[in-house]
Amino acid sequence: MDTITEFMKEYHHSCDRAFADSEQAVLDGKWMEAETAFDDFRTDMARHFHIEEDKLFPTLISAGGPPGPVHVMCMEHDQMKGLIEQMCSALAQRDTQEYGGLSETLLIIMQQHNLKEEQMLYPIADHFLATQLGELLDDMRSA
Amino acid sequence: MKTIPLNTQQAPPISVPLRFFTVAPLFLMLAALILLSGKYNPFANMHSPALLAATHCITLGFMAMVMLGAIQQIMPVVIVSPMPATRLTAWLAILPLIFGALLLAAGFMQGNPVLLDIAWPLLGLAFVTLIAASLISLARSPAHNATKTAILLSIITLGGAIALGMLLAHGYASGLLLPYDKLATAHINLSLGGWVLLLIIGVSYQVVPMFQLTPNYPEWLAAGLTPAIFFVLLLNLLSLLLEFRPNWLVIVVQGMFWFLASSFAAATLVLQSNRRRRIADPTLSFFRLGMVVLLCTAMLALATLFFPSNDRFVTLSAELFLLGFAMSLINGMLYKIVPFLVWFHLFRGGVKRAVPNMREIIPEHWMWLHLRLHRGTVLAAVFAPWWNVAVWFVSLGLLMQGMLLVYVLFTAISVYRRSLQRLEESSP
Repeated sequence: MDTITEFMKEYHHSCDRAFADSEQAVLDGKWMEAETAFDDFRTDMARHFHIEEDKLFPTLISAGGPPGPVHVMCMEHDQMKGLIEQMCSALAQRDTQEYGGLSETLLIIMQQHNLKEEQMLYPIADHFLATQLGELLDDMRSA
Repeated sequence: MKTIPLNTQQAPPISVPLRFFTVAPLFLMLAALILLSGKYNPFANMHSPALLAATHCITLGFMAMVMLGAIQQIMPVVIVSPMPATRLTAWLAILPLIFGALLLAAGFMQGNPVLLDIAWPLLGLAFVTLIAASLISLARSPAHNATKTAILLSIITLGGAIALGMLLAHGYASGLLLPYDKLATAHINLSLGGWVLLLIIGVSYQVVPMFQLTPNYPEWLAAGLTPAIFFVLLLNLLSLLLEFRPNWLVIVVQGMFWFLASSFAAATLVLQSNRRRRIADPTLSFFRLGMVVLLCTAMLALATLFFPSNDRFVTLSAELFLLGFAMSLINGMLYKIVPFLVWFHLFRGGVKRAVPNMREIIPEHWMWLHLRLHRGTVLAAVFAPWWNVAVWFVSLGLLMQGMLLVYVLFTAISVYRRSLQRLEESSP
C-alpha cells in the first residue's frame, strides 16, 4: 500500500467490517458481544478521524490542497460522530430498534462519504503530497 | 489536477427530487386503470393500445420520473459531479414529462394523432434537458470509474431511444411510411437494453457494495461489461437495419446480449451472497428479486429466439424485464434514497439529536409489505398473456403499489415538515 488512496481504502473496509459485526450482534440481542464489537468499531472510527483530521488534512492544506472538500469531509465526520454517540446510547439502553435505525443511517452517510474520499480527495492528496508520501504514510500508520 | 468544490450545497433542495418521486406512483395507478379499461386482454397482443399506453405510463411516468429525481442525488456521489442548474433542469424536465406521458398514453388509447403530435415534442424537451444536464455533469466529473462510462453509454442509448420514439409517434400521427416493426424493436432495445440496463449496472457498481457491504464487482467485469453491452446493442441495431442473413447471426447477437445481461445478474447475486452485512434488508430483497427475474427473462428471451412462433412469450419477456427487473430495483433504491434525503436535509448544518433516523422516516414494515405486493404483481404478470384473470391481479398489484408509495412518500414528507418545525422552534 504505497499510496494514500490504497491505505485509506483498506482502512475504510476495516471500519465497514467492524460496523457490520457490531450491528449484527446488536440485532441478534447478543449484548456482551455487541458491547465489544461496538467498542472496536468506535475505536476504529475515532482513529480514522484522527488520522485524517490531525495528519492528512493539515498536511494537504499546507501543501496547497483544496480547503473546500476538506471542510466538507470534516463536517461529515461531525455528523458521523453524532450518530455514533447516539448509537452508543441506544446500545446502553438495549434499544435494538433505535440502534438499527441509527446504524442504517450511519451506513449510508459513511458509505457516500467514503466514496467521495476514495474517488476524489485521496487521489488529490496523492497528487499534492507525492514528494512526502513515504514519510506521511509512516506517520499515519503509527497514529 | 482538476478539482471541484464538494459541499452540501451540491445536493439540490429536497423539494426537487421529492417532486419527481411523488408524481411517479400516480402513473403506476394510471397504468393499472388503463390495463383494466379494455374489453380484451391487453397482454395477448404486444401492439394493443392499452398495453402500449400502460407500458409508456410505467417507463416514462414512473421509471423515468424516479430516475430523473434520483440521478440528481446520485451523480454527486457516484461520479463526484452535481447536475447543473438543478431547479431549472427539474422544471424543464418534469412538466413536459408529465404532460408528454399523459398525452402519449391518451393518444395510444384513443388512436388520436393530434395528441401524439403534441406528446412527442414535449417528451423530446424533457429528455433533451436530462441528456444535456447529464452530459455537462459527466464532462465536469473528475472521477475515472466504470460507473461514469456506464452512465455515459446509458445517456447515449437514451438519446437514440428517444429519437426513435419521437419518430415513431410522429409517424403514427401523420401516417408516414416507415418500417414500424423494425423501428419499434430498435426503440425497445435501446430503451430497455441500453438506457435502463446500462444505468442500473453503472449505479449498481457503486450502490451494491455500499448498501450491503459486499466485495466490489471484479475490475475486469466492471470495466468491460457496459462497453460490451453497448457494442452488442449497436450490432443488434445493424442487424435490424441491414436485415442480417442468415438468421443465426441475429440469434448470436441477441444471445450475446442476454449472456452479458445474465452475467451482471449472476455477478450481483454472487456478491450479495458474500455480503458482510447479513441483516434482513428490504432493498437487498428487492435487488435480489430483480436479479433473479433478469436471469429468468434472459432464459425466456433465449428460448423465444429458437421458438419464435409465440408472440406472447416476447410480450412476457419485455414485461418481466420492466416489472420484475427494473421496477424491483427502482423500488429498492427509493427506500434508501427517500429516508436518507429527509435525514440529510434535516441534519445538515450540525449535530441534532431530535432528527429522526431513517427507519423512523419510512418504517420498515411498509417496505416489506411493498415487497410482498410487488412479488405478487410479478407473479401475476407471468400468467397475464394467457389468463385474463391475471390481468386483474397485475392491475390490482400496480394500483396498490402506487397507493402504498404515495402513502409512504407523504409520510416521509410529513415527518420532514414536523421535524423541521420542531428543530426551528427549539433553536435559539
